[in-house]
Amino acid sequence: MGQWEDEFILDCGLRIADWRWRVEVQGNVRGSKRSLTIRNPQSAIRILAALWRLNLAEELQYRANFVASVLGTFFWIGTALLTLAVFFSHATRLGGWDYWEVVVLLGVFNALTGVIEAVLRPGIGRLAGEVRNGGLDLVLAKPVDAQAFVSFRRLDIWRLSDVVLGLTLAGYALHRLGHTPSLAQLAAFALALASAAVVVYALWVALMSLAFWFVSVENLSVLFDAVYEGARYPVSAYPEALRFLFVYLIPIAWTTTIPASALTGRLRPEIGLAAALVAGTALALSRLVWRAALKRYTGASG
Amino acid sequence: MSRAPLWLRRYAALIRNAWLVDLQYRASIVLWLLWGVTEPAVALGIWWGIAGDGQVAGYARADFARYFFALMLVNQLTIAWDSWYLDGWIREGELNFRLARPLHPAHEAVAENIAYKARTAGMIVVVWLVVSLVWPAVRLPLAPGRWALTAAAVLLAAAMRFFISFTTGLLAFWTTRATAIMELHAGVSLFLSGRLAPLALLPPAVAGAAALTWFPYMLAFPVELLTGAAQGRAVVTGFVGQLVWLGVWIAAYHVTWTRGLRRYGAVGG
Repeated sequence: MGQWEDEFILDCGLRIADWRWRVEVQGNVRGSKRSLTIRNPQSAIRILAALWRLNLAEELQYRANFVASVLGTFFWIGTALLTLAVFFSHATRLGGWDYWEVVVLLGVFNALTGVIEAVLRPGIGRLAGEVRNGGLDLVLAKPVDAQAFVSFRRLDIWRLSDVVLGLTLAGYALHRLGHTPSLAQLAAFALALASAAVVVYALWVALMSLAFWFVSVENLSVLFDAVYEGARYPVSAYPEALRFLFVYLIPIAWTTTIPASALTGRLRPEIGLAAALVAGTALALSRLVWRAALKRYTGASG
Repeated sequence: MSRAPLWLRRYAALIRNAWLVDLQYRASIVLWLLWGVTEPAVALGIWWGIAGDGQVAGYARADFARYFFALMLVNQLTIAWDSWYLDGWIREGELNFRLARPLHPAHEAVAENIAYKARTAGMIVVVWLVVSLVWPAVRLPLAPGRWALTAAAVLLAAAMRFFISFTTGLLAFWTTRATAIMELHAGVSLFLSGRLAPLALLPPAVAGAAALTWFPYMLAFPVELLTGAAQGRAVVTGFVGQLVWLGVWIAAYHVTWTRGLRRYGAVGG
């Protein structure tokens, strides 16, 4: 029996070595077309559609999770509104924003939370564990762009209810403000919100890339939660130093404060363009970080 | 003859073990710590802005700073992750080998708590000392008597939060959503245990209702003892409340543990 086991292990080892060699060679071939890249939009959409269809079929088995998710969201929104009630029982404005303006921001925050919980946490959020145990090998061996695959491989459909509930809350708060946004404001809001999602994504990529340097850290996603905690309130409510940090260094001001400001008309619609610019920069920087990080990966599975 | 030396040896071994395991994950622990202090830091930032140069219900900027720094420390010293561990132990069958040991599994959990808290609270104390060198607002008055009282209150609060967390984790014997219940508890404690604001800043009806629950005694009371906000009668009622609720949660733990074990059909290996 012992001999058979040895042979088996040897055989496996040879196969894996051969396989790795092929991956390396193929990975280095210049001009080889990789799917799931922006240059190859058609196949990217096909791959994502296939992945998400699979996910959907999986998630539909657990319909009770939908109820749990919606209840959780209601509880969270209730807690957040009570928090605001406590602050506003001692102040008429928060950083110059009145109550319903902050509620608009809360709606935006909740919508983005939905995107994070539906796509980012179950996708790129698992990266740290995979770097540690070598699961990333399986991703790198696929003929797709690793960053795109890791980021968008999962869709926890039920959590998208947070997006709907968040936007509903923002709409209701707008109604209470008595403010009907103009077409330009709506467009700016849509652009700013999309940019916000991109900034949040870039933050996840940059933070999760740290896993390649600090391999033993399994809870890296906590770092994002810690940072994102600051996005619950308008940046103007914070002391000067924190405000600078949130606008320029860790750009979470662009995730909630700016879209909410665009919607309520606190900032001129042109802010949407600035938001898009910030999002583009953040995305490019995060891609650079990812590339640098991936170079450090040596594989851990056997 | 007392069995104290035996227990000392046991605990020394358990704590040493937990300390060494944590040492492997020290970067993770720093991240949990960071996560733990952002909530009070954000709350402090908001209250700082609201207070401006004036006062909010008797709290000026410096008072808020002291309150939330004390909160960070006391929270780290009393926080208990046990419901998450237990939930995993029970659902994945890791409780089995722990039950087979000649030692109640709770002792391992207690030792782990001691090791974790010594490490994280130590880090906070160092940071606090450094910050207080440059920022007088967060300095505490030198009052050894009060510090001793605070130490006792923190110990009681830590024990209470341990039993709350452990008991809630034991609900995994019956439901798969034990950790969701713990999060619900955390949501309520945001207000009633003083994590969002000193209880004096809540509406009087809410603060009054909170005093009837265990929430203020697990965090707000030791924090206010440390900052000096709790004086005279409040100190006495605080300790009485802590002892009463600790007793209640120990009883709840006994009931859930014995009933739960009877229900337990081991899973896995």
